[in-house]
Amino acid sequence: MHRSPNARVALLGGVALMCLWSFFPIYWMIVSSLRPERDLFSTPTLLPASIDTGFKAYRTLLELTDYPLQFLNSLMVAGAVVVITLLVSVVIAYVVTRYRIPGKTIIVGSMLYAYMFPPLLLAIPLLSIFASIGLADSLWSVVAAHCTLTIPLGVWLLWGFFKVMPLDLEEAAMVDGCTRAGAFFRVVLPLSLPGIVTVAIFAFLLSWTDYIFAFVLVSSDSQKTLPVGLASILGTFDARWGELMAGATLIALPLLVLFTFLSRYFIQGLAAGAMKG
Amino acid sequence: MSATCRHALPEFTMKNIRTASDRALLLAFILGVGATLLLILVPVLDAIRLSLHHAESFISPQTWVGLANYQRILSDPIFWHALRVGVFFATMAIAGQVLLGIVFALLLDQPFPGRPFVRGITVLPYLLPTVVVTVIFQWLLDGSLGLFTVWAEQAGLGRPAWFENPYSAMFILIVVSVWTWTPFVTVCFLAALQTVPKSLYEAARVDGAGAWMRFWHITIPMLAPMLTVTVLLRSIWMFNKFDVVWLLTKGGPLSATEHLPVLAYRRAFSQFDVGGGATVATLSFLILTVLIFVYFHYFPLEEKGATT
Repeated sequence: MHRSPNARVALLGGVALMCLWSFFPIYWMIVSSLRPERDLFSTPTLLPASIDTGFKAYRTLLELTDYPLQFLNSLMVAGAVVVITLLVSVVIAYVVTRYRIPGKTIIVGSMLYAYMFPPLLLAIPLLSIFASIGLADSLWSVVAAHCTLTIPLGVWLLWGFFKVMPLDLEEAAMVDGCTRAGAFFRVVLPLSLPGIVTVAIFAFLLSWTDYIFAFVLVSSDSQKTLPVGLASILGTFDARWGELMAGATLIALPLLVLFTFLSRYFIQGLAAGAMKG
Repeated sequence: MSATCRHALPEFTMKNIRTASDRALLLAFILGVGATLLLILVPVLDAIRLSLHHAESFISPQTWVGLANYQRILSDPIFWHALRVGVFFATMAIAGQVLLGIVFALLLDQPFPGRPFVRGITVLPYLLPTVVVTVIFQWLLDGSLGLFTVWAEQAGLGRPAWFENPYSAMFILIVVSVWTWTPFVTVCFLAALQTVPKSLYEAARVDGAGAWMRFWHITIPMLAPMLTVTVLLRSIWMFNKFDVVWLLTKGGPLSATEHLPVLAYRRAFSQFDVGGGATVATLSFLILTVLIFVYFHYFPLEEKGATT
């Protein structure tokens, strides 16, 4: 397509503004976490005057707060959520698409309905339930709560995947002597791997970024996940911005790395409305 | 297609469950569905039950009060104020996200060097946890050292107390929400844009339609269904957004940004009125359910295609 020079300049200018808008706050987070402390208290400059190669903000954060423990908590919660979500949602989506189940629209519909529920509205009553069965203030309560988001999401996404997968392939495998389980593991699972990866990524993302459930359900420092830990640092240390930005960078980093390598699945999932928020 | 396949596989129906693995699979299915629905239904029912009781905390004794909580909440101007605040916040934030999202999608649909990279960058805000986003903006707006505060000072505006003025506090909430959730609209729109046949644009160009005419008469009508889905989904989620408001303003200053979720949280956790909090939550469920039914009405489940 041919463009006039003016249109080209306007397009590139628009693109530059768009990048600035999207990336500047992230840039500022990373740069602020790397500045020496004295620079943070002087008039800010857009480009850092010097970089703190000793990573003092990161060291303070990791040595003086519960951050390493909370990092582990977040990792364990997200890991458990991913495993449970995959197991449960693969079974549900597979059965719904391969068997005649009475009321299956109602089942999938209520899953989707649940997925649209705002976390806070579920978190308040969940707390009273967990309190009554003695699970309050534990990582397991957070795992269970996150599953209320991720299982409906997984069922919804995988339902779309399994539905369009031709049954002939499985039929052929079963005629050739595969059991149903064999057909599932040798045919269905490999073919739907992109969908399964997408579900795993978004289950991880939802769990890793969740603030509301962990905030309502957990109160002791040792059980906090990273987002709640970061928010509580903001409450206690006043204006320790270097450490706060280091903490924010550490939460964001795994996501940025994942995104760099798996952006295809991210975009696919986003376009399918996978991310709640 | 799939219907004919299903007839070809009679053993796939409920009536002919013979093997042990079929039974095990069905058992796992029933357990999975049961556990999931239990985890979701029980809290909802419990919220409704709590809303009919008087309770000061989650562990204190509860007394049945019937609809008294509803009477009290619905005649409380604070509730209506919170509803108005929520509707205003959601409307402005969604309008901003949709407008900016369309502009971004149109830009990203044009050919220019480094496009895949730029597409990646524009998605980043959506991936960040809300806590990270709010901490970054709190730092940018910090009262003495924040970059935006310093810029405002250099521009001769003094040091704005961003979060102490009701208008600027609301404005910040809207801008931060637009920043975070625009990529959702961008990605949805970009995907939809790529399904518009290029021949339509060519035909319009031959007929002498300018860029604006082509946008208005081809792009917008072709994208209308996607626009409706996006606005509905955004409304469902923005209307009950808790974390961004709680982390940035806590509903302040003086409840100027207190919407229904913050009101529900405050009632239940800091005002010793769990029944009242549950009532606000139940009323939010109702509003939300209406929105979700509108969504299902326009986009019935059976028509949901593959995840493309």
